[in-house]
Amino acid sequence: MKLTDEEKRIFSGEQGPGMQRAIDLLIRLGDSFDAERLMPISYGHVSYDYCPEAFWNLMTDGVSKTEHRVTSHPSYQPKTWKKWGLPLADNWVDEHERKLETFKRLGWLRTETCAEYLLGIFPRKGEIVSMSGSCMQVANNSLFGARVDRMGTLVSLAAAVCGRTPYMGLLKPENRFARHVIHVEKMNFSDWTSAHFHCLGYHIGAVIPGFKPIAVTGLPERLYFDSARALVISMPTSGAVTLAHVVGTTPEAPDLEAATGGIKPENEIKVGVSELIRTWESLNVCDYSIVDHVAFGCPHATIDEIGMIASMLEGKKLKSTMLIGASIPVEALAKRQGYGKIIEQAGGRFLPVCPSIRNPFARRDVAGEMQATSCATNSARAAHYLATVCGTKVFFGTLKDCVKAAINGKWEGRFPEW
Amino acid sequence: MVINAHTISRGEAEGEAVLYKGPFSFMGDLDPFTGKVTVPRHELEGLSLAGKIFIFTTGKGSSSGDCAAWVAKKKGNAPAAIICLESEPVLSGAVIAAGIPAMDRPEADIFEMIKTGDFIKINATEGTISIAMHKEV
Repeated sequence: MKLTDEEKRIFSGEQGPGMQRAIDLLIRLGDSFDAERLMPISYGHVSYDYCPEAFWNLMTDGVSKTEHRVTSHPSYQPKTWKKWGLPLADNWVDEHERKLETFKRLGWLRTETCAEYLLGIFPRKGEIVSMSGSCMQVANNSLFGARVDRMGTLVSLAAAVCGRTPYMGLLKPENRFARHVIHVEKMNFSDWTSAHFHCLGYHIGAVIPGFKPIAVTGLPERLYFDSARALVISMPTSGAVTLAHVVGTTPEAPDLEAATGGIKPENEIKVGVSELIRTWESLNVCDYSIVDHVAFGCPHATIDEIGMIASMLEGKKLKSTMLIGASIPVEALAKRQGYGKIIEQAGGRFLPVCPSIRNPFARRDVAGEMQATSCATNSARAAHYLATVCGTKVFFGTLKDCVKAAINGKWEGRFPEW
Repeated sequence: MVINAHTISRGEAEGEAVLYKGPFSFMGDLDPFTGKVTVPRHELEGLSLAGKIFIFTTGKGSSSGDCAAWVAKKKGNAPAAIICLESEPVLSGAVIAAGIPAMDRPEADIFEMIKTGDFIKINATEGTISIAMHKEV
């Protein structure tokens, strides 16, 4: 790989051991994909809580304040977990505080969300950013046309430290054309909720071989933002798709030809009702009807989603616990709007945590004996990780069915008729 | 017999092959504290990948896959090496950062030539896969 003079100095260790290790990792990753050089990033996004502390310390060793902006992924909130009575919360405090201390010393921004675009922080079309979090990678790539490559949490820390990322994959305009095309058969889309789009995206991710960009056709044009987001974010859960052109909705896909660049795709795959019925069923991993916990906000909730939850909870009391993953500013807006009071009086809670992989109510290493044995969610991504990482039973269904389950403490959701 | 492949992460390893004709993520598919596959209804559910040469199609899933790989490696529960048909950046970053030898783009149909239980040796620095012994049937 060709390095600039400054990059050579970083590599030689002149700017400290952390930056040296970080650039070494970026070079080795870039080499394995034949990247010719590194590119400066507009900003970086890291996850300090998910990063093993030993690795975090290696990469930040001797690093001073960065000139470029760096933001953060959903964090742990062990002090709040403790307030909520989760018995193992104390185990998480010290490491969290130590890493947060470094994060603040570096001058990085505590956005603590996987949906930063809801805070007005998002890359413009063509801009290069590096980030942790496959769901924000696919959202920024697809919905805003930014140039974001698929990247892990450790590598994204290295990129944030150095302010650079290997010039490879989806950063290169020639690699951004769709190589697979999904044709969605005509259905009654007017009845579709976010859960329906999640289900479609999760199915698409599973059937696409590899990580090359895709185009999705057959859906109504100019999809509502929350629907388009629900469609793309579950793709890198069941698979590795990190750029999905939704024809008629996303900026690089006014039509199919623009999305494919006129190049014949490797695969053309039809998706119809039978595939969606099977996928919806597969997301439900349960054999009884009790619901201990309901998880919303994977990815972090929009104000409309919170408004819909609140509209069903006026004067109600929840039988199950309910966690809404939301950023601090969106939670503040929900409270300003009166939604927060309704939800909290019913027993629901807000927190800027990941409500799937790191859901404190569903994790045995946080909740201990209080761990939920069964969870309901309207997110395919959450359904997948609650079952696999947290090991709970899972009900997947619409937002309405999930709110009802929280009120009644049992699942009465039905499979959609499509 | 030797099969050539493309280097992702350098190093040498040997062990029993485990094949899975699908994508894999270190986050959610593998419990880093036991080395076992955790996905409900997965054909490898409950099987330990620790110390195995794990062969699959490609990477997938959460960007925290590299954190899980790092923890699995530190706890001694990671595969000894991995081989896949074509890697993607989360998987490649994971094995490079964690120091797990890895290769992709093998120059022969490894799903045809290698079976689960075969004892194989790999040199990911040189980019070679050798089948030391086929499992006795």
